[in-house]
Amino acid sequence: MSARYGMVIDLDRCTGCGACMMACAAENNVPALPKATNRTGLTPMLVRKVSNGRNGVAQREVFIPILCMHCEQHTPCVSVCPQQAVEVDRATGIVMQMPQRCLGCRYCMTACPYHARYFNWWDPAWPAGTEKSLNPGVAVRMRGVVEKCNMCHARLHAAQEKAAAAGKREIDPADYVPACVEACPTGAIRFGNLADPNDPVTQESHSPEAFRFLARLGTEPKVYYKSKEAWVRALAEAASSTEVQHG
Amino acid sequence: MKRTLLGFAIGFAFTLMLGWIAFPRALYTHKQQPFTFLHKAHAEKSGISDCGECHAFKDDGEFAGIPATEKCASCHSEQLGDTKAEAILVSNYVKPGHETHWLVYAQQPANVWFSHAIHLKRAGLSCQQCHGSYGETDQVKVYQLNRISGYSRDIWGHSMSRFRRAPGDGMKMSDCETCHSRRHVEVGCLGCHK
Amino acid sequence: MKFTRRDLLAWSAGAAAGLIVTPIPWKLLDDTSIWSQNWPWIPQPPRGPVETKRSFCTLCPKGCALRVRMAAGWPVGISGAPDNPATRGALCPLAYGAHQLNWHPARLKAVRHRGNTSSWFEASTAFAKASTEGPVVIIDGFPGRSTSQLFQDFASKRAAQYRVVLSPEIRSLRAYEAWAGVPATALGYDLENVRTIVSFGARMLDGWGSPGRFSHLWAEQASGKTDPQLRLIQIEPQLSRTASRAWKWISIRPETDSALAAGIARVLLEQRLVRATGPMPRLSLTEASSLTGLGPDAIHDLAQVLVAEKPTLAIADGDNPAVAALNFVLGSIGTPGGIIQTTKSAMPYLPAESNIDAARAVLIDSSVPWDFDVQTEAEVFRFAAWDGGSSKADWLLPAPGFLEELTDIPSAPGSSVQTYSLTAALTRPAFEVHTAAQFLQNVEPQIGKPEEIIHQRCAQIFKARTGSIYAADVAAVSNCSSPQKLEEAMWAGAIWMNEPLYNSRLLRSLREWPTEAGSATPQNSENTWSPGILPPLSSKLYCESNLCESSERRNA
Repeated sequence: MSARYGMVIDLDRCTGCGACMMACAAENNVPALPKATNRTGLTPMLVRKVSNGRNGVAQREVFIPILCMHCEQHTPCVSVCPQQAVEVDRATGIVMQMPQRCLGCRYCMTACPYHARYFNWWDPAWPAGTEKSLNPGVAVRMRGVVEKCNMCHARLHAAQEKAAAAGKREIDPADYVPACVEACPTGAIRFGNLADPNDPVTQESHSPEAFRFLARLGTEPKVYYKSKEAWVRALAEAASSTEVQHG
Repeated sequence: MKRTLLGFAIGFAFTLMLGWIAFPRALYTHKQQPFTFLHKAHAEKSGISDCGECHAFKDDGEFAGIPATEKCASCHSEQLGDTKAEAILVSNYVKPGHETHWLVYAQQPANVWFSHAIHLKRAGLSCQQCHGSYGETDQVKVYQLNRISGYSRDIWGHSMSRFRRAPGDGMKMSDCETCHSRRHVEVGCLGCHK
Repeated sequence: MKFTRRDLLAWSAGAAAGLIVTPIPWKLLDDTSIWSQNWPWIPQPPRGPVETKRSFCTLCPKGCALRVRMAAGWPVGISGAPDNPATRGALCPLAYGAHQLNWHPARLKAVRHRGNTSSWFEASTAFAKASTEGPVVIIDGFPGRSTSQLFQDFASKRAAQYRVVLSPEIRSLRAYEAWAGVPATALGYDLENVRTIVSFGARMLDGWGSPGRFSHLWAEQASGKTDPQLRLIQIEPQLSRTASRAWKWISIRPETDSALAAGIARVLLEQRLVRATGPMPRLSLTEASSLTGLGPDAIHDLAQVLVAEKPTLAIADGDNPAVAALNFVLGSIGTPGGIIQTTKSAMPYLPAESNIDAARAVLIDSSVPWDFDVQTEAEVFRFAAWDGGSSKADWLLPAPGFLEELTDIPSAPGSSVQTYSLTAALTRPAFEVHTAAQFLQNVEPQIGKPEEIIHQRCAQIFKARTGSIYAADVAAVSNCSSPQKLEEAMWAGAIWMNEPLYNSRLLRSLREWPTEAGSATPQNSENTWSPGILPPLSSKLYCESNLCESSERRNA
């Protein structure tokens, strides 16, 4: 049976601690290069702080974890890739980036409405010995390729292998939880199968408080956000991610 | 004209010899395993016929690959016979508790994810379909290291032309794809890559 | 026969034609492409069997429960342990990158004496000499461990002084010490039963206590609710992360927490909003109002909110006697949802001061946060896994890093119940490291080993027969068959958790409103606790996002 993995991120619960970013980077062997800046670094999961723009006691802030939204329809990066290095997986709905196939043209980065794709400007490097602490489930990427959130594919692999060993065809949902979801100390990031109408995440995605960023583009992203505050929901249609960035 | 043809033929024959005889010898270098391990002798003496007895799975389906020294030590805690290989095993690995750094014939690049559990338990393949009959042989296969790619010759396969190969000879991505398309198993790139 | 140019051309054409039917071009193309995908200088993860082990984080006194994914014997991934009731699977962001800390370039790999490489033998000799010549001060940052017990044993045998650097949570409980007659380390906040929290700058949602404890309570009971079950009121001049998520954020002038606490207490007492009749603060409402910058009405409203949903707890950031006294007015001492005693057997301690006079040697344990440094004439021996830079210590001694030390973990600071857990060393560094306890043992062999004390403590827990052992399933200690079984479960990653002690006899009323200011935060002005070095990933990520806030950037 085909799944459609997606997330609902409850922004009212996000305290902006950044555990999701750390867990994501450690899981996916993201290097910490000192020369990288906020324009050249790799952050498949990135928490942005957005203010309501008011001053003094009226000031409010919200933290928005931004990752690949795994667009289901007319997926912009898939449409533009000349290499077929990215595809929407039929079985899972995950937009899968294949760094080894990427030629580094960065067309997809331009096409992505969410700026959720990152380019390896340098060869990955760590202080000597750190390679022993890298996750063997994820290959290290090299300079000159684009990468992004693959929904912790190594964890899906492990779940599939476990299911096969137990003689089952379907994975146990408890075995496949992306690193950011697992790391969130307040349970703000929820992960589930949007193709399953009984999945709590599917039901949450239909809530009136749920929204998706730039839904008007019609790309049907599978990452939903949720907030009780109207000004936060109004951020959904900010014209570009630069607006989200600078609030 | 005849002479031109002769020249052409000599040149043709020269590169054929170069490509089919000298090139493989230059490309691959032979490496020695730490000591001799004979599959057949172990199967006969211990009565083990199932590969999974030593090359086992863990509960979560992770394939343990080549067994750890601990497994060897369950029989060879002390020297049983008088072979040189066993003496090396007992004195260099079992007694000090070191792992053997075997040269793995089927070693794949780091970006390949291959699950033995899925292929054996779900697809019902046999070990021999990919690994050939090495488990039944009575000699150590020579490990031929590709000087350029750094992988074993077993990945490309013993046949340089990759034409009319024996079953289990070759483990390249195209070999995976051939089998997948024959069986109509469709997985995306990240089905096998990580 | 002459070899002509024509012959050469014919030969070359033949050779070229032959080449394409040999494997040379195709195989070279294939091999070079594989080679180009596997540059030898690209680091590769370890290959080997993968297993998951349980452990506890020792980077700060909170001791969060970890699941550690190991590959080929090396830790390759950290995640929380959801079955641990104290942390409930949550960790601070730093923990997720902590397994890379052991490889940090600032890792202390050899003994350093005033900037030069030295040896363990020289350090040991120097310390032995110093300890015979004059008084020794031992400073501990993580009191209550078996190692702390050894420090105290050494102190009693050698007439040395044992001093403790307190975490912000414990510092906020110091004011009760004199009033309640119980060491602050034996007190805790019963957050699990509280309905209203008024935090005077305590970073409740930024890792206060242990990150899993409050964030879970808040997420379940408070987040995004207009009338939450748990009301978090944050009093802070600036909009902090906690303030931005709190139910109410009240901005006051900096350093006026005591005045606001006094103002609230005055309203509560004058308007008879509470059962208590004292202590009445000297500060009037108007004075409090002008100091804090809040109008009298706002203070009045705040006081009313505090008693609307009780129990209510006031939590200060560090030592603040006025905020502590407010809890007496609110009647939140020794009751569910208040400040309660967690253990009856806590050892008294003396807090470490940064100025140390009249000592011949000072030994600083690796558990002491790096920011804490001493001003002294004495010879300073400092244990640390990482050199955070600019230390004034004479000796820098390499200590075990993350997951490299066998230790026990007592209750997290501020915890409402007593807990105990154990962790074995999961990896070993390639160079020589020693704990401060091992170092002291060379000088005074009679002080014993941490393992022995851990063994005794497990036997005591078994004997007391209270509390439960939480592992994959929960078992009451009274159902445990033997102390060995209990210790075995503990080494496998279980946690022992006692029942809360509500009926303890804490002093519940206070005669006079405190006038003295709280003791200053020792040097560590940020009120955070860090090992001196942060995982490189955290510096990177916080700078590349826009979350840079205070200390997180420090090592960027």
